[in-house]
Amino acid sequence: MKENYFGSSLRRRIVFIVIVGMISIQTFQLVKMQLLESNKYEEKSKDNSIKTVQINAPRGILFDRNLEILVGNKPSFTLQITPDLYDTSNSKIIESIINVKSGYIKKLLDQYRNFSKYKPTNLMRGVNYNVISWFEENHSKLPGLDYIVETQRDYSFGVNASHVFGYTKEIGREALKKSDDFYSIGDNVGFSGIEKEYEKYLRGNKGNEFLVVNSSQKIVYRHNEGKSDIPAIKGSDVVLTLDYQTQKTAEELMKEYKGVAIAVDPANGEILAYISTPQFDLSDFADITSNTLWDSLRNDPSKPLFNRGTLSMYSPGSTFKMLVAIAALEEGILDTTYSVNCNGGLQFGNRFFKCTHFHGKVDMKEAIEESCNTYFYKVVLKLGIDKLSKYAKMFHLGMKTNIDISPESSGLIASREYYDKVYGKGKWSDGNLLSIGIGQGEIITTPIQLVQYTALLANNGVTKVPHFGKGYIDSKTNEFVSFHYDSIKTNVSEKTFKFIREAMEGVVSSAKGTGRNIKLPNISISGKTGTAQNPHGKDHSIFIAFAPSNNPKIAVAVIVENVGYGSTYAAPMAQKIIKAYLEKDKKKDDDLLKINNEASN
Amino acid sequence: MKISYKLKDKFDFVVFFSVTVLLIIGLVSIYSATYNHPTAKGNLNKQIFFIMISFLELFVVFLLPARTFRIMALPSYLFSLLLLIMVLFFGNTIYGAKSWMSIGSFGFQPSEFGKIGLIFFLSYWLTNTKIDINNLKDLFFTVLIGLVPIFLILLEPDMGTAIVFAGISLVMIFWSGLDLFGLFVVLSPGIILFASLFGTIPFLIALLMVIIALFYFKQNLFISGAVFVINLATGFIFDFLLKILKPHQVSRLLSFVDPASDPLGSGYNAMQAKVAMGSGGLFGKGFLQGNQTQLRFIPEQWTDFIYCVVGEEFGFIGSILILAIFLVLFLRLLNLTSLARDKFSKLTVVGILTLLFIHFSINIGMNLGITPVIGLPLPFISYGGSSLIANMFLIGVVLNIYRNRKHNI
Repeated sequence: MKENYFGSSLRRRIVFIVIVGMISIQTFQLVKMQLLESNKYEEKSKDNSIKTVQINAPRGILFDRNLEILVGNKPSFTLQITPDLYDTSNSKIIESIINVKSGYIKKLLDQYRNFSKYKPTNLMRGVNYNVISWFEENHSKLPGLDYIVETQRDYSFGVNASHVFGYTKEIGREALKKSDDFYSIGDNVGFSGIEKEYEKYLRGNKGNEFLVVNSSQKIVYRHNEGKSDIPAIKGSDVVLTLDYQTQKTAEELMKEYKGVAIAVDPANGEILAYISTPQFDLSDFADITSNTLWDSLRNDPSKPLFNRGTLSMYSPGSTFKMLVAIAALEEGILDTTYSVNCNGGLQFGNRFFKCTHFHGKVDMKEAIEESCNTYFYKVVLKLGIDKLSKYAKMFHLGMKTNIDISPESSGLIASREYYDKVYGKGKWSDGNLLSIGIGQGEIITTPIQLVQYTALLANNGVTKVPHFGKGYIDSKTNEFVSFHYDSIKTNVSEKTFKFIREAMEGVVSSAKGTGRNIKLPNISISGKTGTAQNPHGKDHSIFIAFAPSNNPKIAVAVIVENVGYGSTYAAPMAQKIIKAYLEKDKKKDDDLLKINNEASN
Repeated sequence: MKISYKLKDKFDFVVFFSVTVLLIIGLVSIYSATYNHPTAKGNLNKQIFFIMISFLELFVVFLLPARTFRIMALPSYLFSLLLLIMVLFFGNTIYGAKSWMSIGSFGFQPSEFGKIGLIFFLSYWLTNTKIDINNLKDLFFTVLIGLVPIFLILLEPDMGTAIVFAGISLVMIFWSGLDLFGLFVVLSPGIILFASLFGTIPFLIALLMVIIALFYFKQNLFISGAVFVINLATGFIFDFLLKILKPHQVSRLLSFVDPASDPLGSGYNAMQAKVAMGSGGLFGKGFLQGNQTQLRFIPEQWTDFIYCVVGEEFGFIGSILILAIFLVLFLRLLNLTSLARDKFSKLTVVGILTLLFIHFSINIGMNLGITPVIGLPLPFISYGGSSLIANMFLIGVVLNIYRNRKHNI
């Protein structure tokens, strides 16, 4: 039994077993790693060496209705930082070069701590060329810092329309969590206006570039010679209904004023011009927007960020009188021959409701032309609240238009239910009704509602939801696809509309018309002045119009804040907008003629 | 046929060809590992140069008279101790260990040659007829022969080589017929040391087991007491050991426990090696096509992590081929232990087998993530002149022993 001698066979066997055992264990591990789990390791090895770089797609271009560029793209440099490789001791100099407060980079890195530290994060967009050339020179000393060439919005095409186009912004962390898988940190996303509404057309498809990097993350070569790269696809271009020339004219007219001017094609609700002033300068929003700019815009008392066209609520003033007239005619309460003797107002109960002048005896047409309040006090008393609110609703007043930019206010149209709720049942009198009859008091509309109302008046009570988006040019197929909108229809007879159109034409063309100052020799304009009473200051000047009167191609609503009477400020602006739109083609012809003449001379 | 029979009789083709194939695989792998490296491209030529030198050396050693090694035993051991002391004073520090000597532009590791001295002297000592390994006094001196170079190497400190020295000593003593109690005496301090790495409670449990074992062996009180005291003292050496271990070695040890804990720190190599091995799959990614290797995810891959170059670029087929060749080599060496002419030669072969096997096991193990990252090269495959010269010298010794297997002195 004794085996403890030199080189015993048991000990030899033990050594044999150890050798074979060890190699068996290694073989098992080889089988496990290289045959059973090789997929797992293959993935890891790819992750290791293949760096995926996102290529942002240029956004689609915004065109006007004649395919003139409104908002384009231009190249821009974006500095990026890869947290894992970044040397924080460089922060000070980088911060001074890109001109930000010290601590900016640290704050940024803290903010992105929960995201991959191997993925480049935007440090700053729209970096100017000097910074990039400084960076190029010092590239080797600045690990973890890099730049990419992207596109940013180019707003140099002559129109601003900041509330229409809106702007893009880097997606916030909260929004990112809520969004679909499309977005990743640092992506630009449409944040307001058209950019937001048509984001899914404009954004395009991001691409990916696969680069092979070595262990120090240095790019060695392109994976698969770039054949597996996914190219970015530019966003689809969106064609807007805006008319470049008309828009530009409207912007220039309104530049000095606070207010709104909107023009639509009454036949289909296409918005030809839209301006809400004061605006903000979109070019400030092309790259990273500084906090100081934000603060100054937010705190500006004239509220440049506020889109008056869809949000601001004004009394329609005398422009509402047509609705009262239509309701009375349609309900058969009276006809157009009904006359009232205006002696400067109407005594109702113990209160005297004033008119603007002593109009004397006026019929309905004259009452509209001369904007006689007394006439409409009487009509509205005959009409009553229920019928009035029925027709207001029919013309979509006091409710959202569902225009394709947001947000939008609904406004307010008084009704029996409304009065019962506010004053209590039976505790309100027809006195409230009198103010409404001339478009004051508890009747509040947004400018976009007002222009929609004008379009309905112009086009025999048929139009479409007002909109900016005409369609898009698909970037893959290059085909134009149009957007569709709901129709709006009123139940008003053509005869009534014909009368209203003539009366509104009289506002501009008749000798006593309140809008006679904007009469044009070659274009017949139908319009109506209005004044929105403003308890906080000077009244707002309102004018609605369409032209040509017999075959309207354009409907306009202009509101100028705090300037007073409608015909003085708003009416001439409406006239110029109409002129700009209707004479555009003629001007083109004239220009061509001129060029031809010069050529032949 | 007669000539070939004679040649076969004099020359161990199995060992020679195994080693030659491993050397060729090594060259291919070094070529791949340094292919895309800016500064290591010259390593291939250096390795080719060393291989040529080492073949020359191999044939010289092969032709030496059989008794040379026994005569060399004591002087080579003492000379290697001298070198190991000198390196502590005049050596260069590389990767935290003072293990390199340079003579002019030529650098080498004394510990590589220390292995040869240890094997020869232990063979000489243990086969001395006056030595009874189961006598505790003789055992003590035998262990001391191993401990002196181990101590010097731990001062460098080079844990991997110390493990190799300990392993060689242990297996050679084991082979010499040490009985179970003797084995217990030799091994128990090691177990205590290992247990104390994990804290006080494992240390106390191990100590308790030592006490139980001592009762089981029923040795006299003096011997039992002495063994217990040695074990107890070993436990306290742990503190000293932690001090002499460099931070990078401590963290390497810890990162073995959980490589993912610090993927870019010391666990990095282990992790990347596994990724390289695993991603090779069955056939590998192809020569020079391994992205882990070519993109240099594993630093200094031509040394300790050379196996995963093969694993990544030649896959399971290449990896298993290397294991198979080593298996052939080891079993052939084991076979030689019975063919050899005398006990000295047999024990020398055991020592050589142990040396190669420990290197092999730890190196392959750390490439596969089954042993800690302890810097030991893979014999014949890893780049490195010193270890190649030493290993080829020992293969020369093996071939010499085979040649002389039927002769008497």
